[in-house]
Amino acid sequence: MIDDSKAIEITNLSKIFKGGARGEVRALDDVSFDVHTGEIFGLLGPNGAGKTTMVKLLLGSLYPTSGTASINGHDISTEAARHKIGFLPENHQFPSYLTGRQMLLYFGGMAGLPQAELKTKIDFLLKMVGMFDWRNSKLKKYSKGMMQRLGLAQALINDPEIIFLDEPTDGVDPIGRREIRDILLNLKRQGKTIFLNSHLLSEVESVCDRVGILNKGKLIKTGPIGGLITAKPAYRVETAGLTENIIGKIKESFPGANIEDNIISITLDDSKQINNLVDLLRQSEIDVISVTPIKVSLEDSFMRLIKGEEVHE
Amino acid sequence: MSKFYAILLDTFLEIRSSKIIYLYAAITLVLLLVFGLFPSIDIESGNIPKGSLFSPELASEVMAFFFSGFLGFVIFLMVFGSAWLLPAYLSRGRVELILSKPINRFRLLSMKFAAVFMIKAGILIIMTILIWIILAIRLESFSGYFFFGLLLGCLQFLAIYTIVFAIGVIGRSGVLAIMGYFIIRIVSGLLSSREIVYNFLGDSVWKTIIDIFYYILPKIGEMDSNYKSLMTGNGFSNTFAIYTTLAFSAALFLITLFIFRRRDF
Repeated sequence: MIDDSKAIEITNLSKIFKGGARGEVRALDDVSFDVHTGEIFGLLGPNGAGKTTMVKLLLGSLYPTSGTASINGHDISTEAARHKIGFLPENHQFPSYLTGRQMLLYFGGMAGLPQAELKTKIDFLLKMVGMFDWRNSKLKKYSKGMMQRLGLAQALINDPEIIFLDEPTDGVDPIGRREIRDILLNLKRQGKTIFLNSHLLSEVESVCDRVGILNKGKLIKTGPIGGLITAKPAYRVETAGLTENIIGKIKESFPGANIEDNIISITLDDSKQINNLVDLLRQSEIDVISVTPIKVSLEDSFMRLIKGEEVHE
Repeated sequence: MSKFYAILLDTFLEIRSSKIIYLYAAITLVLLLVFGLFPSIDIESGNIPKGSLFSPELASEVMAFFFSGFLGFVIFLMVFGSAWLLPAYLSRGRVELILSKPINRFRLLSMKFAAVFMIKAGILIIMTILIWIILAIRLESFSGYFFFGLLLGCLQFLAIYTIVFAIGVIGRSGVLAIMGYFIIRIVSGLLSSREIVYNFLGDSVWKTIIDIFYYILPKIGEMDSNYKSLMTGNGFSNTFAIYTTLAFSAALFLITLFIFRRRDF
């Protein structure tokens, strides 16, 4: 249910932190991108890339040094921009003196929900995240994973149109992660827009429609997740009896090929070119044991992009 | 649910969970027991008297004397117990979530200030009235002037809490807030005795500077002098100290809001 309308628009956004031991720090540098309504957008980047700064700017904790951004068409500096959003921050410190129920009551009240609506909503959300049995226990008794689940319920308390999640599966066990992933996909089916900050690339790969990659405050890539992980086709060809002469021929025809211990690793412009390589090997009477396509994961693409940036610098 | 009610409820639960609430309760209980159970022995003869121990005038004086000291002590406890509330509210991991709610920063901080003040002042009023009731019964002195003293106590707490609040918001530290309060208290005490300081200063420029500081800074100590006269029905003894202290607090409150409004968290 992704449509062309923009839930979040970011234009030339920069944030410079002045002072402090490191002097001037450019946390975000002229970043521009959009998030479409109804999609799950993942913001990726190594530690210190500026992901949390981006979320804090969008949600009013920080003020931009320059540039503009809007949520649902409202400038981020306005109260209206925060009306239909939910947020689960990273490293949150929920008040430990509250019970699960009281916490949802408090944050629901802060979002301006009527008390009558809150009561039914709280029970529904606690059941959804599997925390209903703990509703009357103080938060200081909760584990990290339980806090994350409750945090997610808190982010959904006002039935938001856009949900910002900063490392939502941090500290959650594999079963809990799967449940959170299912909740996110269910929310997407309901037409919600989700802005996901995560360093767990497999998680992003499994739920996101599009991603943006930040490094050192700069946006180095945005696009559909499919476009990132289906880069040029790559293969691993296992052979037997490669000679120096044949290796020379292969390198001549396929300059990018990497050959080690009778194994040829190769990235091609077109998948049909693999036939040419196999033909060459057969003409040279080399046994071809196996030809395995190498699936490029998001992690591979991510690492390539980040390293590429560093080499470029 | 209104946003203010949500903040008030959260603040109440936070204060209720703190250890200092037990100290308030213990102090109140001990004083109620002491004043309630202690026999009215005639100091001179050692006998239990048949009538009142004090004349009405003397009873009123005793109560005014006691409550002027008691209110100062309870206000200090309230300030001590509330200094950490704002820094905790604005701590990393908590403030980001609060600021993401659809409420502007000016209203948010004003409502948090009001919530803390209302709950702490409520505790102050309950503690003081409970002890006043038992003392009034024992001394047979039910002067309504006591409530003017209590009102002044609330105003004094408001003024002091504003200082602690401002330092807590700007410095984001409860310890710093308490230290700041003590420094202002000491400086205002010294400035109120500035006539003595003048003797050591030959230069009139310094006298002018000290005078300026005296008029600007709050006069917390001088406000205390009003308690006894108010509770004995003699009105205010130093209104200037009250006006200037409240004016300072109002200005400080607005400055704090302005700083908070533009701050990065």
